[in-house]
Amino acid sequence: MDKALIRRSLHITAAVLVAALAIGLYKAKTDASQTEAHVRDLRTRVADAEAEMRALRAEIARAESPANVAAMAQTHLSLDTGAQSEGLPETAIDNRLPDARAGARVER
Amino acid sequence: MSYSVAVDRAGAYSEAAPARNRVRALALCVFAILLLLGGRSVQLALSGDPLASPRAAAPSAVRRGDIVDRNGVLLATTVRAYALTAGPARVWNAGETADALRRVFPDLDRATLVRRLNDRGRDSIFLRRSLSPEQRQHVLALGLAGIGFEAEERRVYPNGALAAHALGFTDVDLNPLAGIERGLDARLREFGEAGRALPVSIDVRIQYAVEMELDAAARAAGAQGGAGIIVDGRSGEVLALASWPNFDPNAAGDAHETTRRDRVGGDVHELGSTIKPFTIAMALQERLSNGSEAFDLSQPLVIDDTRIEDHELTPGPATLRDILMHSSNIGAARLAMRVGGERQRAYLDRLGLTRAGRLQIGRNQAPLAPAARGRRDVAGLGFGYGLAATPVSLAAAYTVFANDGARVEPTLLLQGLEDVVERTPVFSPETTRQVLGYMRSAVTDGTGRAADVPGLEVAGKTGTAEKLSGVEGYDENRNFSSFAGIFPASDPRYVIVIALDDVANGEAGGVVAAPAVARTLRRIAPMLGLRVTAPAH
Repeated sequence: MDKALIRRSLHITAAVLVAALAIGLYKAKTDASQTEAHVRDLRTRVADAEAEMRALRAEIARAESPANVAAMAQTHLSLDTGAQSEGLPETAIDNRLPDARAGARVER
Repeated sequence: MSYSVAVDRAGAYSEAAPARNRVRALALCVFAILLLLGGRSVQLALSGDPLASPRAAAPSAVRRGDIVDRNGVLLATTVRAYALTAGPARVWNAGETADALRRVFPDLDRATLVRRLNDRGRDSIFLRRSLSPEQRQHVLALGLAGIGFEAEERRVYPNGALAAHALGFTDVDLNPLAGIERGLDARLREFGEAGRALPVSIDVRIQYAVEMELDAAARAAGAQGGAGIIVDGRSGEVLALASWPNFDPNAAGDAHETTRRDRVGGDVHELGSTIKPFTIAMALQERLSNGSEAFDLSQPLVIDDTRIEDHELTPGPATLRDILMHSSNIGAARLAMRVGGERQRAYLDRLGLTRAGRLQIGRNQAPLAPAARGRRDVAGLGFGYGLAATPVSLAAAYTVFANDGARVEPTLLLQGLEDVVERTPVFSPETTRQVLGYMRSAVTDGTGRAADVPGLEVAGKTGTAEKLSGVEGYDENRNFSSFAGIFPASDPRYVIVIALDDVANGEAGGVVAAPAVARTLRRIAPMLGLRVTAPAH
């Protein structure tokens, strides 16, 4: 085979190889940066979600706070858990429960 | 000739061919590069720049752990907030911008705001910190040029004022300033890094009951301040710690300094008669008296020209039980003098009443505990004068009655089964049990009757210490009225101290503090697994 032809083929091959490598490198870097950006975005979204969860947990705790529950009990159920309340003696529990016989009649 | 020319042209043509190829290759390369650039442009146009920085809104990590109570109820957490910023160079009209912002934040000073918005020498200024997402939305809706936000974090306390003094608060940069936030700062950061919540010993249900009853008692008594603490005497865990008046730690900066004052660990008072059980215990421990000895308390006691009297004279011979039941100053002074200053001081040291406490609330006020300089001082210490300590120190001293005579240091950390509780022996179990019996009598038949709750077997002692009033000495109309107790007496475990400072009309501890103790215990008994029984008719 002609030497010049071989050399030319080698040059072309090398050029194609270099071009392929350059394109490959470019693509790899672009992919890497895209992945990195995706990871950053995911982290931001996780942080956002965590922040929202913390805010929701705080809101739940506020809603369930004893003061809030006491206020709601007073407003909606007319139950006073204020300073004048007393612990319920064991003997008084039966008086507060529905009549067992009445309940039985209803069930029947 | 023409042949040679043709040969030369052919030779030149063949020599020029590689050069042309190179030019073509170069053109191809340039074309490829342009193609790449074009493709990249299309990519950027369609999908945005993947190399651009992510939006800088979210702080990356929470460095401060949440605080939860012993049952996992959230007490403090960190949420996202926003700082309102302005770039003065980009603000179109400072006056209009200030007016618009004041519609959302009426408390902003217009003149100051306009001046700051006109300060073109600065790139960015903070106008307000710790904005909620709702406030941010309101400002965004204004569409103001040059106004922006920076993401930050904010400490919030979902229960509002509940346990405010125990929890404390931070500044806008989350630096701890008071309470658990300060006392357990290192641990909170450690738990925050690990993504865990720090459990503390407080029980919000008990805390709420104590605060409500303390509030009611303080208002009814016209007190200037109040303190309440409940301690599991065996483990040292503080179940509730309340100061009155209280404040909202979510807006600690707006609260008056008086309301932010922690009166449980930060205020010292002469303890009054609540110290008498210890005086009796000292005498018993040193075998300087016994339960059957009879004292004549019918006459005032004069020591170094100082006259010691009882509010009500105890007729006839009185035993140690009577001294405690009727809160006799004369009897306590006599016993104290028998014990002597040196031994008395040693006991007070071991009870922890002469040094600052170690509760994790940021600041524990050191007691005023000067050494007794004579018989009068020793006698005064016997019934609670000449030594000013905090209510939490008093509660810690009362833990001896739950541990067979050993003192336990109160803690706000939830104790696990593997945690070793450090106990400092002070009295023998026999001495402790004997004094506990006397304290139970003080509640059933003595000055602390109002603290009795059927079924709970409360044992305790009232205290009414007159307050110093300038150079005029003690003012009998200004009292520090308290009750310190332990329950149930048959299986002593929980220590309770309720104290009211500077009550109107100088009401005694048995009148204002003891009833508050009873009401509190009625509410919290079920939470402690105890039962209130029906009162005997």
